[in-house]
Amino acid sequence: MITLGLDIGTQRVKAVILKDGAVVSRGQAFSGFDAKKAAEEAVAQALNLANLNRQDIAYSVATGSSMENAPKTDSTVSMMGADAKAGVFFFPKARTIIDIGAEEARAIKCDEKGVMMDFVINERCAAGAGAFIESMARALEVKLEVMGPLSLKAERASPINASCVIFGESDVVSLIHRQESKPEIARAVFDAMADRISSMVHRLGVNPDVVLIGGVAKDVGFFASLKRKLGVEILVPEFPDYAGALGAALAAASRAKETQK
Amino acid sequence: MKNEKVEKKYIPEIPAKEIDELKSTIQASSEKIMAENIERMKKTDPKRPQAMKYFDEISNLFGQRQRELAAEKEKGKKIIGYMCLFAPTELILAADAIPVRVNSGWYDTSKIGDRVVPVEVCPVIRSTIGAKMIGLSPFLEQSDALISVLTCDGMTKLGEILSDYKTIWEMNIPRVKDAPHSLRFWDDEIINMKKQIEQFTGNKITRKSLKAAIEQSQKATRVFRRLQDLRKGNPIIMGRDAMLVNQAYLWDDKERWTEKASALCDELEKRAERKDWVCPPDTPRVLVTGTPMFWPDSWKVPNLVEEADPKGIIVADELCSGERILNDPVGVDEWTMDDMLNAIGERYLMASTCPCFTSSDGNEDRINWLLNKVKESNVQGVIYYVTRGCMLYAMEYTRVKKALDKINIPMYYLDTEYTREDVGQMKTRVEAFLEMLTARADM
Repeated sequence: MITLGLDIGTQRVKAVILKDGAVVSRGQAFSGFDAKKAAEEAVAQALNLANLNRQDIAYSVATGSSMENAPKTDSTVSMMGADAKAGVFFFPKARTIIDIGAEEARAIKCDEKGVMMDFVINERCAAGAGAFIESMARALEVKLEVMGPLSLKAERASPINASCVIFGESDVVSLIHRQESKPEIARAVFDAMADRISSMVHRLGVNPDVVLIGGVAKDVGFFASLKRKLGVEILVPEFPDYAGALGAALAAASRAKETQK
Repeated sequence: MKNEKVEKKYIPEIPAKEIDELKSTIQASSEKIMAENIERMKKTDPKRPQAMKYFDEISNLFGQRQRELAAEKEKGKKIIGYMCLFAPTELILAADAIPVRVNSGWYDTSKIGDRVVPVEVCPVIRSTIGAKMIGLSPFLEQSDALISVLTCDGMTKLGEILSDYKTIWEMNIPRVKDAPHSLRFWDDEIINMKKQIEQFTGNKITRKSLKAAIEQSQKATRVFRRLQDLRKGNPIIMGRDAMLVNQAYLWDDKERWTEKASALCDELEKRAERKDWVCPPDTPRVLVTGTPMFWPDSWKVPNLVEEADPKGIIVADELCSGERILNDPVGVDEWTMDDMLNAIGERYLMASTCPCFTSSDGNEDRINWLLNKVKESNVQGVIYYVTRGCMLYAMEYTRVKKALDKINIPMYYLDTEYTREDVGQMKTRVEAFLEMLTARADM
């Protein structure tokens, strides 16, 4: 059976095609002003790669913060529900899933079947999410991809305020004025974020295995800071940014089976 | 009565023209919101009980009830407003005066209140101050005096701030219930309040009038409990409808409310016989607890839960704007004046689960109440609703969460403000929570 999962995120739309429990292809596009168009593009990419047609899809599910802008799918699943499914698919022993996207950070507690048991979401502010790194990279005048590797070169950490992107940025500016090195400032940015995320995860309870997904999971600097703060091993799957779409495709597969019954 | 010209301790001068403009704009938008809320409730239950028609009308805050109160005032009756449920309404009724609760659920007036207190303060307080500043709330305007019970920090200062406009009677409430001197202290507050009300209204509270008032509120409690019992089974009334009925008691005529709520129960019983459920019996059953949700704007969370996809149904609440209003009767043994006053004291202090209380075991009563409610009403998930600045509810969250974890009932902390802008984000959270309840039920 072939199913499709779509994750309509704030920055990118991701598509995953699943065939009999295995990923066959992925596609993505910038959400831009027209998320619907971007979604069509991502789906076309994925279909193309897999050599399939739209009619081959038995069932499709959408998720993501802009899922109401998705093209017509058979049903939807919450982002947290999709995260839990994907986390356990990657790592069967996963019980805590942390998903950090461009503008939202969430943590999900789940059971062995990938059913979400509890969840927390960051408080309506992008300071704990990817957009924070982006704006700090701008303040440091470095490329976003460089932030992580740069931070790993730091010898010590300087504290900054991550309760708010605006305050964070002014803290970074004053560190620049104090002539702190760029690696140290980059490290401070990731430490501050990891601080926020770890207290959020602690509210839920840190149950191993802990899995990190979402676009920010690819950032080596953030990964190192979070690992230090949480003090446990953190697993990151291949293509962590497609986890939401994969979760949706997995939900699609189980819903398709239900409807066949 | 206070002269509004007296120099104000808190409230800044606002030009009369600005007041008029603000009032007419906010009132117009509020009338629209009330009508919309009711339309949405009707849409959720196309076979909504006939008896709800009455409650829809009486819940128009600028409608029939305002006119009735004006007519009563004309005849010389006093209206006594209150902010906390601890105000002993039986004493007010027994003095032939009219009790009415005056807390504001208007989002827009909280921004006006910001001119007096900072935004960190609970929005229920800011909004009530703002409503008074522009004279928006008919019931608050019509009140001849206000009873201010010193419970949370916000309520404690709210009375003080409103004293710029109104005669305020404070009631000092002990924070530790189970100390023997606490009840004695509170009983004295009740006796003082009786004198205060008698003096103000010029009506003596007699054994006979107090007995009649207590019996009336006992009747209302019986009808309320009948409604709650009906909500325990398969879904027979949407939570929002029942919540509106409960809350209308705060401003409605008590006798008429009892009659109309009883008619609603009759109708619901027939509906139950027909097994004509208001939504599928496997719809997730939700309890809401936390900061009070005042009509009309603070209907945000009930609307979200009962219009979500997947949909939930609110089967119970632990709110001082909901079930706490009528849950507990005044229990009288002997109908002497002393005994009745003691019974009132006990009912208001001991039965309350307000988080302003603590003890060596903390606010144990609230935990027990919640655990009991979850079991009785077959609740599958709890939404813990907190507005920013509502310290006491925010602080009790962790304990409640632990207690519910033990019985494997999921709870979600839903924090918000007096604003409409976060509805999208809240919808995401509420829907994920309901999806989780559905998935857990399938296991």
